[in-house]
Amino acid sequence: MKGTQLGEFEEIVLLTIALLYDDAHSIAVVEKLSQRLERPISLGAVHRTMQRLEEKGLVISRFGEATPERGGRRKRLFTITIAGEQSLREVRHIRNELWEGIPKTAFDHLT
Amino acid sequence: MNRKNKTHQDPPGWAERLLARITAPHIREEVLGDLYELFQKRVQRYGYMKARLLYVLEMLLLLHPRLWRKQAQSAHLYTKPTDYSTPNPLVMLSNYVKIALRKLNRHKSYTLINVVSLSLGIACTILIFTLVKYHLSFDTFHANQDRIYRIYTELHTEKVTYSTGVPSPMGEAFQGGYSVAEEVGRIAFFKKRVVSVSPEKKFEEDIAFADPDFLSIFNFPLIQGNSKIALQERNTALITDRIAKKYFGTQDPIGKLLRVDNSLSVRITGILQNLPPNTDFHTEIYIPFSNLQEHSPWIVEKDWWLGFNKEMQCFIRLKPGVSAATVDSRILTAISNKYYDKEMAKQFRFKLQPLADVHFNPKLRGYTEKKNLWTFALIGFFLVVTACVNFINLATAQALGRSREIGVRKALGSQRGAIFWQFITETGLIAGSALIIAFGLAYVALPFVNQWFDIELSLNPLTDTDLLVFLLLLLLVVIFCSGAYPGLILARFQPVLALKGKLSQQAVGGFSLRKGLVVTQFAISQLLIIGTLIITNQLRYSQQADMGFRKDAIVILPVPDNKKSKINTLGAQLSEMSGVENVTFFDTPPATEFLGSTSFRFDSRPKAEAFNISIKSADHQYIPTFKIPILAGRNLNPSDTIREYLLNETAVKSLGLASLQDVIGKSATINGRSGTIVGVIKDFHFKSFRVAIEPLCLTTWGEVYNSCGVKVNPANLGPTLSGFEKAWKAMYPSSIFTYRFLDEDIERFYKLDNMLLRLIQAFAAIAIFVGCLGLYGLVSFMAAQKTKEIGVRKVLGASTASILWLFGKEFFRLLLVAFMLAAPLAWWLMDRWLNNFVYRVELGAGIFILAILITLIVALLTVGFRSVKAALMNPIKTLRTE
Repeated sequence: MKGTQLGEFEEIVLLTIALLYDDAHSIAVVEKLSQRLERPISLGAVHRTMQRLEEKGLVISRFGEATPERGGRRKRLFTITIAGEQSLREVRHIRNELWEGIPKTAFDHLT
Repeated sequence: MNRKNKTHQDPPGWAERLLARITAPHIREEVLGDLYELFQKRVQRYGYMKARLLYVLEMLLLLHPRLWRKQAQSAHLYTKPTDYSTPNPLVMLSNYVKIALRKLNRHKSYTLINVVSLSLGIACTILIFTLVKYHLSFDTFHANQDRIYRIYTELHTEKVTYSTGVPSPMGEAFQGGYSVAEEVGRIAFFKKRVVSVSPEKKFEEDIAFADPDFLSIFNFPLIQGNSKIALQERNTALITDRIAKKYFGTQDPIGKLLRVDNSLSVRITGILQNLPPNTDFHTEIYIPFSNLQEHSPWIVEKDWWLGFNKEMQCFIRLKPGVSAATVDSRILTAISNKYYDKEMAKQFRFKLQPLADVHFNPKLRGYTEKKNLWTFALIGFFLVVTACVNFINLATAQALGRSREIGVRKALGSQRGAIFWQFITETGLIAGSALIIAFGLAYVALPFVNQWFDIELSLNPLTDTDLLVFLLLLLLVVIFCSGAYPGLILARFQPVLALKGKLSQQAVGGFSLRKGLVVTQFAISQLLIIGTLIITNQLRYSQQADMGFRKDAIVILPVPDNKKSKINTLGAQLSEMSGVENVTFFDTPPATEFLGSTSFRFDSRPKAEAFNISIKSADHQYIPTFKIPILAGRNLNPSDTIREYLLNETAVKSLGLASLQDVIGKSATINGRSGTIVGVIKDFHFKSFRVAIEPLCLTTWGEVYNSCGVKVNPANLGPTLSGFEKAWKAMYPSSIFTYRFLDEDIERFYKLDNMLLRLIQAFAAIAIFVGCLGLYGLVSFMAAQKTKEIGVRKVLGASTASILWLFGKEFFRLLLVAFMLAAPLAWWLMDRWLNNFVYRVELGAGIFILAILITLIVALLTVGFRSVKAALMNPIKTLRTE
């Protein structure tokens, strides 16, 4: 299952795509991420990640309408696929399990 | 979108272009769009400048193999192919070729007209290119040829005369006193001397006496013998391989003896490689300059600076870095000042003529002028244009017929570019085959051209890269000139209209363009016709006009030895023969292309006249033989030395005397020899019609006679000539008998013009023919278009004549417009050409009317032939076809 292995950044991007649902194009993803992470995200990084996700079959893309603010060019809109959803759930499941496995006392001595 | 706003907020164009170039096609639009959107947002947030900066930064961050990697072909790929895949023109090529072949096959007359006109045009252009290139290549094969010069003489008297020759001490003076030249080579050319291998084996040959330096200046390699010592030892000779074969066959020529003009014996020490065709040096026998003294002492008199002979020339090769202008202004002026007194130094001026100029300077006996070459180049260009015009006309006219094909192609997704290239492929096929045919034609025609021009051209694109490049360029130019416009028209068709068949001739465009093109063709044809007519007229005038003396049925014989006793005996023998009317001995016939001139002191005037006078030396029979009228006084008395002079009218006028009688009995000192003026002769043209009649005198001077003119009865020429030969050979056993006719001699003045004429005639004929082909095609097309119209007209009672007029009026109008353009241009050009002649025909309206009539008739025949067919067609047939 090498193809579905998700990297950390990939996971965040995939999550954002799912979050944006119908308007998930790269600029929107960049903006959303910069907002949330409070650090600048480069378009290039997002772009490459989204391409990779598509190659892995976790998202599919289609062309949107050409709009003037894009200089008459169309945007590529991404939608999460079932495979994408599954791999997100899997990651979440693994995390949840990990969380649950942490002994209560593990964080206690820190405070 | 606000356009103005947009231009102010565009991201940096270069960055966009760069990115577009490196980005893989399938993500290009998206990436550019993203960056653009980001940029727009940033402009509002941070301002224009910063946004631009960030744009570039963002672009740099995008750089990653993924950006330009091709779309992965994995099974997971869900993306649809984008619109960015461009059609591959090469894949379509085979289809284009197939369609083109089918189409050409179906429209055979169209193909034929195009191929024929293009190949004729191209064939002429190939020939012209070869001709021009040949002339431009003259004497360009010598090492350092840009540093080789000929010293020439300018004689400044009342007007300036030029001579290729220099006074004989010039070479030594230049060599001795000044060190600007690497080599100085004197050379004296002699035309048509007798060279004998044995008393029986004699040849008439051009010879030259040359300094050893001559061989190091010019690249004429020896194939036998030592070039280091060649031309150094006296009484030796170099001959070319051709001459060696001619004289000795297969024998070894080295060491053989030759006798030159019965005055000089030379031993062959070296064999020169045959001279290449593209050199102006035609002499094939070279003898050391030091031998000149024995052969013709008169040409090398020491310290004789006052005379120069056009055959006594001096070539030099300057040291690198020395400019010809400096040599002209410093050294050659210094030489003038040193060897002449003050008065004469003003008259004698010497200059350097670059080797490249030798072939092209008519003042200095160059073969032709560059102007003539460019005329030919222009004509070649015209011919190609005419052929391309045909193509464009026919192709645009036919475009309508292809509308359905284009419509289908477009509906199936063909783009403009593809249709354009399809048409260019078709043009390429036609032009390519035309080029091949043209090359064949040129190859066949080449021997004739060579014969006309007396040159040796060759056509071989495999060894001649210039020609190959020219052919390829020509092909490209022809394809694009003739294919581009129709191609664009076809590509522009609206598919819906094209499929519905609703395109009209107007929509196809270019009827006005076609008109313009037809006008161009007519204009070119008329220009050439007018040119041909005028040149023909002028040449006929020059050759048939009264030159002021009798020139028909006069045979000229050479006189190798002018000893008084021999001349008298020969003269007596000749005049006794039947059919001989007069016999005269002289140095030059009445008309020669070149004749030197000399100073003239009249009567007791203290100084020499400001003008120079030419001398003809001849005995007392000259005047009656050539029937030159005497206006005052009497003919010369028989004599062998200069005693009496005859002047021509111009000379008397130049002296400033009102009456011809005023000069009679006065003394004259001409060329330092004095005599009495005994008569005045009527002016006659003693040079070609290009130059005005100048002052001339006639005198008896037996020493320089070298020819004999015999007026014969043309009725019984054969036996007379053989009688001459017998008498002549008995008198001069060691020489070769030749004869020529005076009128042929005069014709030779206009040799180049005659060639020009014949070529222009040929080209005009081809241009007209090509134009006619085009017209025929156009009319056929019109007839096909108008079939129905004609049918309706005929049914409604139109006469055949009115239908013919329907076709004719358009072309008639175009022809008139073309004439308006061509006539002034032709007038201007031909007036300039005629200005070369002092005695010339006038440009009358007649020639122009004749020219337009010729084109009119030719056009009428062409148009008429096809339109009569259309007009006579039965309307039932034409109207039933629906």
